[in-house]
Amino acid sequence: MVSRDEIKHLGWLSRLELTEEEISKYALQIEKIIGYLDKLDSISLSEIEPIRSKKNISELRKDRIQPFKGDPLLSSKYRKDGFIKGPRLS
Amino acid sequence: MNQEFSAEEYISQILERIEKVDDKINAFIIVDSNGALEKARLIDKKVRNGEHAKDVGSLAGVAIGIKDNICTKGLRTTCASKMLQDYVPPYDATVIKKLKDDGAIVVGKLNLDEFAMGSTTEFSMYGSTRNPWNTSYVPGGSSGGSGASVAASECAISLGSDTGGSVRCPASFCSVVGLKPTYGRVSRFGLISYANSLEQIGPIGKTVSDVVMVMNSISGMDNNDQTTVDGETPKYSLQSNGNIRVGLLKEMVEGADPEISKCVYSAMDLFSNLGCRCEETSMKSIEYALASYYTIAMAESSSNLARYDNIRYGFDLSPDNYECNAYFAKVRSNFGQEVKRRIITGSYVLSSGYYGKYYLKAQKVRAILKQEIVSLLKTFDVLIGPTMPVLPFKFGEKIDDPLKMYMIDIDTVVANLTGIPSISIPAGFSKNLPIGLQIMAGEFQEQILFNAALLFESSANVQRSPDL
Repeated sequence: MVSRDEIKHLGWLSRLELTEEEISKYALQIEKIIGYLDKLDSISLSEIEPIRSKKNISELRKDRIQPFKGDPLLSSKYRKDGFIKGPRLS
Repeated sequence: MNQEFSAEEYISQILERIEKVDDKINAFIIVDSNGALEKARLIDKKVRNGEHAKDVGSLAGVAIGIKDNICTKGLRTTCASKMLQDYVPPYDATVIKKLKDDGAIVVGKLNLDEFAMGSTTEFSMYGSTRNPWNTSYVPGGSSGGSGASVAASECAISLGSDTGGSVRCPASFCSVVGLKPTYGRVSRFGLISYANSLEQIGPIGKTVSDVVMVMNSISGMDNNDQTTVDGETPKYSLQSNGNIRVGLLKEMVEGADPEISKCVYSAMDLFSNLGCRCEETSMKSIEYALASYYTIAMAESSSNLARYDNIRYGFDLSPDNYECNAYFAKVRSNFGQEVKRRIITGSYVLSSGYYGKYYLKAQKVRAILKQEIVSLLKTFDVLIGPTMPVLPFKFGEKIDDPLKMYMIDIDTVVANLTGIPSISIPAGFSKNLPIGLQIMAGEFQEQILFNAALLFESSANVQRSPDL
């Protein structure tokens, strides 16, 4: 059972402001989706190792400076004195 | 390319075609007419100056459309989302750089389900793309614009991205050829991430040889994508021989529309007649593939989409007077319905107490699928089945029932979960709607895949160009 409170909480964790209507709709839909994912319970997996990335170690490339040509902040709308403006922290 | 038919004339014709048919199809989000014509003139100039074919590039003048989740320098890249409606990338994705170096001309950006989440292109802020074979029907997704534009001859080739079937589904629904390469064959640098352990960029074309041509341009190791594999980049060739061992996956045909199953069995007969050794075979773990896929895809999407805070790129909403969490929650509510649904479900399966129940199990199922496919591919060179278990359907038919929509990905997700390459090629029609044949091969065995696809294509001769 996926409750409206759970959806509200997950919405908050995901930083998504949800309307009352969305909360009700998602509670119903996500319950159905999770119900389907529960199919994973019907297969015996205790002996199985989960799949891993083929590369066992992280490969780091040489730390060479490659200057970026162009303006990386081209699409940020609120800028001041070469900085990006964001919302206040508290 | 010769001087009797200039790149400029060809690109002008392409642009006229887009002008004429795209009102009906809605494949393009942006058409870069000026940029494309300018590039065409540059190629013509090089040819006039007597440059050799190899200097103008193997794809000189070829019109290519790009799914709008792949970054193009200076050309808006929106993911069909309000969250990126004004995003102009300051760099080209590696695949774009490679295609441009080979002379290909980007004519525009193609429609998709928002952030590539969907199977019909109905979840786009720019409206649905329509199927060129019947505009009341969906073109498939999420690379619907990429499939429809090639079918409608609005570009010669296109790029899509395939996370759970997003290149192969529209290729099947639009009667064109679409490839999901082996994971690690093509750089994802500049592809806007949705589920990064599953997705690959892949080409769509009218023929197998078009797809091979693009793969010869975009494949290879990239320092900017740690998951691309080292070693020499293969040059794929066009060869077809009948000496292929073909396994038909029983579970896939059993679950499909009877007309589609019939078509896949006919494909197997054709392979037999062409000298291949064909056999029906079984892959039991397929039953669990979809649950594993959606668990992993949604978990990864919830973390990949966490970066959209509207500060570095986004739409116009001043952050002044907002506390940060309130601001983020407010702007992020502008994601579309399907994206929000996947982020929340992803957060659910990753939340404490559920990780072992869902995500870990999904990764274990993935390991079982991989074992089973590796073992099958010891007996067979290629595995075949339907690309899609259903025919293209009408708009709105599945949009209100997410689970019903997810179910149609059942046959395509196997290749993403196991990393193997898979191609969809036109196999026939039922009720005037296209059917695609899916062919899968072992990791990095694209050449075998192309051999089988070419063999089938040269004998099957299925229609590729709808009347529009």
